[in-house]
Amino acid sequence: MTERNWLLEVDRLEVAYGPIRALRGCSLRVAAGETVVVVGANGAGKTTLLRAISNVLPHTAGEVRFANRSTRGVRTDLLTRQGLLHVPEGRGVIARLTVEDNLRLAYDRQTPAEPFAGACARVFVRFPRLQERLAQSAGSLSGGEQQMLALARALINPPPMLLVDEPSLGLSPAMVREVFRVLREFKANGVTLLLVEQNVRQALGIADRAYVLRHGEIVNESSGAALLADPDMLGYYLGSRAA
Amino acid sequence: MLAEQILNGIVLGSMYALVALGYTLVFGVLDKLNFAHGETFMLGGFVAVAASALGAPIWLAFPCAIVLCGALGLLVEWVSFRKFQSADAQITAALSSLAVGLIVIDLVQKSFGSEPVSLELPLAVRTATVNIAGTELAWIKIAILAVALTLMAALHALVQYTRVGRNIRAVAESPLSAALLGVNVRQVNQQTFVIASALAGMAGLMLALRTGYAASDIGFTFGIKALAIMAIGGMGDLRGAMAGGILVGVIEALAVQYGLGKLGEVVVWIVMILVLLIRPAGLFQSSTRQRA
Repeated sequence: MTERNWLLEVDRLEVAYGPIRALRGCSLRVAAGETVVVVGANGAGKTTLLRAISNVLPHTAGEVRFANRSTRGVRTDLLTRQGLLHVPEGRGVIARLTVEDNLRLAYDRQTPAEPFAGACARVFVRFPRLQERLAQSAGSLSGGEQQMLALARALINPPPMLLVDEPSLGLSPAMVREVFRVLREFKANGVTLLLVEQNVRQALGIADRAYVLRHGEIVNESSGAALLADPDMLGYYLGSRAA
Repeated sequence: MLAEQILNGIVLGSMYALVALGYTLVFGVLDKLNFAHGETFMLGGFVAVAASALGAPIWLAFPCAIVLCGALGLLVEWVSFRKFQSADAQITAALSSLAVGLIVIDLVQKSFGSEPVSLELPLAVRTATVNIAGTELAWIKIAILAVALTLMAALHALVQYTRVGRNIRAVAESPLSAALLGVNVRQVNQQTFVIASALAGMAGLMLALRTGYAASDIGFTFGIKALAIMAIGGMGDLRGAMAGGILVGVIEALAVQYGLGKLGEVVVWIVMILVLLIRPAGLFQSSTRQRA
């Protein structure tokens, strides 16, 4: 591959939970503007990988570089403010705060380019439900609405790079389509995406490239379309369920 | 006479509430108890002593108490809580803060002696009265109550309507989720300690003005009572600390009124046990706490 403008570089990353090695020298790269998907069976280390990238978890070896700078020792909130936004598994909304407060927290992340009302208006065009529920606590929202709110944090103040962990988990098929529609929009607007998904077909459908993670190691790298077109490969790596 | 005792109770209770608010703020954000908090409160009283001894005007003691006690809060956060962040470090953090508190007591006793120290207040401050609805009330009680209620209203507004408060509420629920939203958790912890400690300092200062003296062991009596009030109101609940403080203040004053004398002091503990037996989470459902 020719030299590209890598926004995120993960180099032989190792993470251990006690004696268990959750990531074993995991390496991947994401170029600016690219959408990269990591697929893998349950327990392959997908969530661990994203958590290690955003420094929620410490890594024992290896290195992560974001925008050509090592993230070693950089606190999660600082990485977030520098434009590496991680939407965690389980959505990470603040349940006891109102939808509006959740949006404001996300809005305050970076020096905003527009007033709060204007940024909200943009969010509400995409997620009219959030406008209706503005004064409700985030915990009272349905799972799908909470995922909308989680993605709205990226929409209200678009970051250069978005890490998204299992956004379709536990959602209805209609809501899953909605989530992927939003992710496609981020992609169209030039946001660099690193997506971890169990919903392999949908995820590979929007991927420029894909990695297969197995037992904490990257075992395959190819274009999303190529991986999608190779059911044997998918079945081998992910178990027959995904193929 | 009864009305005046109730007013005394409310004035005392508002001091309890200010100190309990500090316990509950820190507990809400960190899930840990700050055992140096009672000593921060005590230090506020000695700011009043120092100001009166130096002949400085009383109002000047307020900003001094805010700065000094706020700085003590920052120190406690750094020494006792920064390093012991994990959930299983509760005892370590508590013991460490207790140690800082004991050092503060020692330093105060080295400087002022271990006996209670009287304040030299201008006579006018002690004796001036104000006529409200046909009753002569001590000016100082009304002033203290007004300041305490203003502080509580300001704290409520800060927590509910400002960015600092939003961040505090977010970290109280989930430091991880807050960090992933870009909230600087460490800074929020520091802000919480400064706010809590400044409130305690103001309460200590006002109690000294009210009683006319400052005592270095008051953290163990008054301060520990405020801890019980936090439990009565609901750990981590701001409304609970305010309501619980005033409730206990009034009950104590009435106990004195009806001749229970020193026994009035144990009322708070009986109330705490009864409340916790009936409602283990305290009178109020927790509003800032409950982690995801």
